[in-house]
Amino acid sequence: MFERILNAFWVLLGAAAASYAWTLGVVGPAGPESGLFPLIAALIVMAAGIVLLLRPADGALAPDFPRGAALGRILGVIAGLLVMAIGIPYLGFAVTGAVTMIILLRTVEQTNWGASIALALVSVLVVTWLFGHVLGMVLPRGPWGW
Amino acid sequence: MDALGGLATGFAVILTPGNLYLCFLGSLIGTLVGVLPGVGPLAALALLLPVTFTLSPVGGMVMLASIFYGAMYGGSTTSILLNIPGEAASVVTCIDGHQMARQGRAGAALGIAAIGSFIAGTLGVVVMTFFAPLIAAVAIRFGPPENFGLMVLGLVCTLFMISGSTIKGVLMIALGFLSAAVGIDVVNGRERFTFGSVDLSGGIELLAVVIGLFGVAEVLSNVETMTKNTLVAERIRGLWPTLADWRASWMAILRGSGLGFLLGLVPGGGPVTASFVSYALERRMSRHPERFGKGAIEGVAGPESANNAAVAGSIIPVLSLGIPGNPVTALLLGALIIQGIQPGPLFMTQRPDLFWGIVASMYVGNVFLLLLNLPLVGLWAQLLRIPYRVLFPLVLLLSVVGTYSANKNVFDLWVMLAFGVAGYVLRKLEYDLAPFVIAFVLAPLLEQSLRQSLVMSPDGAMILVQRPVTALLLAASAVLVALMFRRKARIEGGS
Repeated sequence: MFERILNAFWVLLGAAAASYAWTLGVVGPAGPESGLFPLIAALIVMAAGIVLLLRPADGALAPDFPRGAALGRILGVIAGLLVMAIGIPYLGFAVTGAVTMIILLRTVEQTNWGASIALALVSVLVVTWLFGHVLGMVLPRGPWGW
Repeated sequence: MDALGGLATGFAVILTPGNLYLCFLGSLIGTLVGVLPGVGPLAALALLLPVTFTLSPVGGMVMLASIFYGAMYGGSTTSILLNIPGEAASVVTCIDGHQMARQGRAGAALGIAAIGSFIAGTLGVVVMTFFAPLIAAVAIRFGPPENFGLMVLGLVCTLFMISGSTIKGVLMIALGFLSAAVGIDVVNGRERFTFGSVDLSGGIELLAVVIGLFGVAEVLSNVETMTKNTLVAERIRGLWPTLADWRASWMAILRGSGLGFLLGLVPGGGPVTASFVSYALERRMSRHPERFGKGAIEGVAGPESANNAAVAGSIIPVLSLGIPGNPVTALLLGALIIQGIQPGPLFMTQRPDLFWGIVASMYVGNVFLLLLNLPLVGLWAQLLRIPYRVLFPLVLLLSVVGTYSANKNVFDLWVMLAFGVAGYVLRKLEYDLAPFVIAFVLAPLLEQSLRQSLVMSPDGAMILVQRPVTALLLAASAVLVALMFRRKARIEGGS
């Protein structure tokens, strides 16, 4: 069922992208326009989506999506990355990274609080030192300057 | 400049303390990446790509290339000792390598893997030294229509080689083209698919895509099935293979070297395919195929040699034609473009220091890797004790640092997350992600070639069949497509 919905999505995505590419212009007096290449790509997406949609469903190939604890671990990782993306502009890399690591260690691996905090602090310190100082890369800073 | 003169230039470039250090560092990181399961060479290259922005182009490329071939060496350690592949090209090494470890012959398996890798890696670079200039000399006569034909053939070859559904591969290529079209059209400055977003006007960042698809998606797959690692051998002894081991392995190493190099050249081939084909070949050629799966040393020697030779083979099309055959070389191409360098037929004459520097670094890197992998094998084995629960949060932190560092833009983190989740779901549905990345990197070059071809022709698209080389390349693509359909029909007929 999920795969059918995804295949229908490819068809709709291809159709929408093709109609948008058409508005960019395909061929003009000076030759090919901005829309030509995306139009070809979008039509291929749409055609491939139609072929996949029309293919008979194979129950044996139904994807095995995670449930229970496995699903919890995956959602924990996604939540951790969401915290990073939302928190970094306001709190900087060091604080957001530490908070994220604690979330990951607590939710995904269910490590105890003490070990989670210690591991998170050490990891963030090492990464910040290595990339921010040794390798000279710019890491996002919080309002306190680090 | 002839090949030997070029190689001398390359050694003059690489034999400086700074570049030697970067080559060693890359080899070390590559081995580490290969040893640690769940961190592939592609994700590692993507994570460390921003680091190379602060280095010279030669230093940066030497480091990235050495991570790539270093990972091929390190991957065998995990396969042999844990029965878990350190990276995809070492999957088949698990079969006989782990059996050897269980029989108390972990040292011999690790030894032959490292020595075979060294021989194959070095042979591959020797052939590369003389072969790459020949390809570039032919390709220098190519114009936009020929380049277009070549890229189409490359993409069709990729489709031919992927596992799983061809139509899903076609879809991934088209999606790669569409994603690459986002941003400002460099020809006329017109915005495409940006929907007024300033963040999208610069296009979708390659690093965010690669780290998402191959870093975050890999972590999601791994945390789903977290298993406890069991190290088979605590202390590694007897690394030097016995005379009987050598007798069984030397032909496998030579065959693996030749096969790996050839499969590396083919777009869609590369180290993973090379190792699988080599294993199948060794099993078929063996007088005692029943030994395979029970600790046959040639089942380790062949694939490990093949995946290292394939690295040299796969770098040739990138440097001499500007066409990547797998996601790792696509990223190397992306790295060169970010540095303002366009690889292709003119690359060797315009930047001989860089081209020959990379080639020379591969000779040196193979020596570093032999030294790192034989005497220090015990250290790498100890690293396997690091549980994945400690490793994966660190990989995610590095993913964030790597993605953010490219543009200093938080928007890229959202792109990384979106591609990570999409990559995880698509892998579940048996979509191969490699064609997407290759198409994403090739799309701007392909579009440029197509537009230039159409502009230079009074007959429009007919130029693609009027130029003999282009027509030949497109005909070869059509033959491959026909073969794919025939293969599919045969499989469906047989089932």
